[in-house]
Amino acid sequence: MSIQRRRFVAAVGAGALAGAAGCLGGTPVSVGSSSSAGAGDADASDDGPGVAGETLTLTTTTSTYDTGLLDAIHPDFEEMYGVSVDAVAQGTGAALETARNGDCDVVMVHARGLEDEFMRNGYGVNRRDLMFNDFVIVGPTDDPAGIEGMGSATEALTAIADAEAAFVSRGDNSGTHTKERNLWEAAGTDPGGDWYQEIGGGMGEALNNANQQGAYTLSDRGTFISQRSEIGLTVLVQGPIEDGPEVLANPYGVMAVNPGVHDDANYDLAMAYIGWVTSPGVQEMISEYESDGEQLFFPEAVSENPDFQQYVPDGWNGGE
Amino acid sequence: MIRLSNVSHTYGDGPVLEDLSMSVDPGEVLAIIGPSGVGKTTLLRVLALFVRPSSGTTELDGRAVWSVGESERLALRRRIGMVFQEASLFDASVVRNVEYGLRVRESWRERLRSQFRSVLGSNGTSEAVEEALEVVDLDDSLEQDADSLSGGEAQRVSFARALAYDPKYLMLDEPTSDLDPRNTGLIEDAIGTARERGIGVVVATHDMHQAERIADRVGVLLGDGFSEIGPTERVFEDPTDDRTRKFISGELVY
Amino acid sequence: MALDPAVDLLPALLDSPFREGYVSSIVYVSLYVSVIAVSLSTLVSVPVAIVMGFVDFRGKQFVKSVINTGMGFPSVVVGLLVLFAVSNQGPLGSLELIFTKEAMIMSQFVLATPPITAISLAAVTGVEGNVRDAARVLGGTRLDVALVVIKEARYGIATAVLAGFGRAISEVGSVLIVGGNITSSDGISKTRTLTTAVQLEARQGRYETAMVLGAVLVAIVLLVNAVVVRLGDTGGMGR
Ligand SMILES: Nc1ncnc2c1ncn2[C@@H]1O[C@H](COP(=O)(O)OP(=O)(O)OP(=O)(O)O)[C@@H](O)[C@H]1O
Ligand SMILES: [Mg+2]
Repeated sequence: MSIQRRRFVAAVGAGALAGAAGCLGGTPVSVGSSSSAGAGDADASDDGPGVAGETLTLTTTTSTYDTGLLDAIHPDFEEMYGVSVDAVAQGTGAALETARNGDCDVVMVHARGLEDEFMRNGYGVNRRDLMFNDFVIVGPTDDPAGIEGMGSATEALTAIADAEAAFVSRGDNSGTHTKERNLWEAAGTDPGGDWYQEIGGGMGEALNNANQQGAYTLSDRGTFISQRSEIGLTVLVQGPIEDGPEVLANPYGVMAVNPGVHDDANYDLAMAYIGWVTSPGVQEMISEYESDGEQLFFPEAVSENPDFQQYVPDGWNGGE
Repeated sequence: MIRLSNVSHTYGDGPVLEDLSMSVDPGEVLAIIGPSGVGKTTLLRVLALFVRPSSGTTELDGRAVWSVGESERLALRRRIGMVFQEASLFDASVVRNVEYGLRVRESWRERLRSQFRSVLGSNGTSEAVEEALEVVDLDDSLEQDADSLSGGEAQRVSFARALAYDPKYLMLDEPTSDLDPRNTGLIEDAIGTARERGIGVVVATHDMHQAERIADRVGVLLGDGFSEIGPTERVFEDPTDDRTRKFISGELVY
Repeated sequence: MALDPAVDLLPALLDSPFREGYVSSIVYVSLYVSVIAVSLSTLVSVPVAIVMGFVDFRGKQFVKSVINTGMGFPSVVVGLLVLFAVSNQGPLGSLELIFTKEAMIMSQFVLATPPITAISLAAVTGVEGNVRDAARVLGGTRLDVALVVIKEARYGIATAVLAGFGRAISEVGSVLIVGGNITSSDGISKTRTLTTAVQLEARQGRYETAMVLGAVLVAIVLLVNAVVVRLGDTGGMGR
């Protein structure tokens, strides 16, 4: 409630300021977080939270970045706090590594296993489930391995391996790549041979590559949707959003860099960001974000049910 | 006066000059003759304060050049001009070449100002430059590119370049080898003009007739030093040294 | 996807798929980073080349081989080294340079300096000894002689600067690593250059827009070439 009131005040204040100054980017707009005064005050930075003008560095994955979601929602955060967000798109592995080195303040990724390791090693704090979409197995319409409509991702991969049908792997240690490796492992197959190609590139490149050579690949739904009009691939195995297997779920988490490890991380602003991005208003914006007429991400942060599991590693049993 | 006392020089393998003493006065022309490779260029470079001899003293107007500080030596060196045996013009216009010696003598402030003016295209040619080019009869090719000059013209520009800043001494290293009679004549006239202005000129040359024409004194370099040095007429008419006589008459072949 | 540049490029250019200010801000960042890096490199390289060309000192051969190795140094390796230097954990971590233009300038400086030095050195060594001697005998100081050498070697040095600029502006590996390819959410580039933008477009399979940006990059390189060649022609000692 108080968050929403503050947002409202902030939006008015920022809007007034922006209108007056005719410019958004460089104007230090700040919002009283402890004091409610001065929201419309041009001199607000004096009694604001002291973050105005600061920069939050976020490392994230290519899939969130390339879909344009962040560009759509970040102006709201930047106006609210009078800050700017530097979003650096890397693979999930690289994004977490950058955070480990203390070179960013907050991380948004999608590989629960890697996230848990990151948290367990003490580099991150305050993880929240953020949103999800799902993975789909896409391939050429003629479907040489005959996987269309299969209800099991591992079955489909086994069929592809048996048929030695061409398969393109990201091979870049990203969240999608991690998911793909887990799926092969679950299928009991160690992919190799000419038909299996690791390209070491982003999702868009992988889709294009698969498209060029009529290969299968594992894609997050968002990137596939934003690109499908340009390629001839089709979804052959659906993820859970379209009633496919739960194993293809693609949950995104957000976490702050531990200020106890890296004391120069902008922890206050990172927590402000996490609070903002998991707030009902922004979760609403996420669910409204569309590409090619379809929703790309499904908010997961706001729920009346307890979701203790999001704060602790997957399968946490109370401490070893 | 430039005076060398007991100067020896070696480039590493054997001496080129050994225990050589001589002097040059303002207003005289001294010709240095001698077979190729004997050390004429080396001697001129020593005289131009360009090469520090391995031993011996070089004095200019009473100052021991290699015992003074760097900045005083620069000031001393600036009293001397030299024209090299090989072409050495800058890749620039004739004027720019000839005014170079004047430029480097200006303060940085003046230099910046004239650089600025030349960018604006309003840089007049200084009198000294025009005069120097007149001496070598080239005052109508000011803006020509140096690399488009003929060999003779290039040599004359080099001469003007050394003359422009009004040196007290001038070292000319075979200034007319490779030149046709007209260019040779122009250079010889210019040497005469320099002499009239009171400049002490040292000319290395292979042309003994030229030496006879222009020189007040002649030094004959044979072996490691002078076999003979003295008034032109006496050296040519009545050499005291036997090898000098043979060299002059062309019998001595190296 | 069939890709016929002649047909696809034109419409892509006409109805720009980019947000207002996006392309110009990318061009600005590319030029800003490359021009500053190459200027700094030139300020270091030319004096080094002149000293190397004039003075004999111990270890000169070693310096030469370092420069020659540097010419072929892979840009991603330079990017990694600069990343280690400017990363929070690195020696320059406290300056907070990671993901900034300054870090990109650092890596491009490292990349551009070896070719500029090597080509300038070749140009300086190519200046005739006579010409140097002439400058000295006409009364020039050491500095005057150095300036004459620079003027005589101006075409070679211009070529060197061009080569360095070409390497800097068309380089993608290191600026991606240390710069992070960031635009702010209003679509204005912070550390995104033409090359990393091309890389981003290609990653998303948008090859037409990648081509447009690539064409802009090529145009800039050609333009800078033309300008520098012209300057070399008219500049120097008043040709
Ligand atoms: N920089 C140098 N390093 C080593 N040896 C040199 C150098 N300059 C000249 N010499 C040697 O010193 C000797 C004298 O050379 P110098 O150029 O003074 O002769 P020269 O009398 O001017 O000859 P020429 O009439 O052919 O011009 C020659 O044997 C030459 O090889
Ligand atoms: Mg000689």
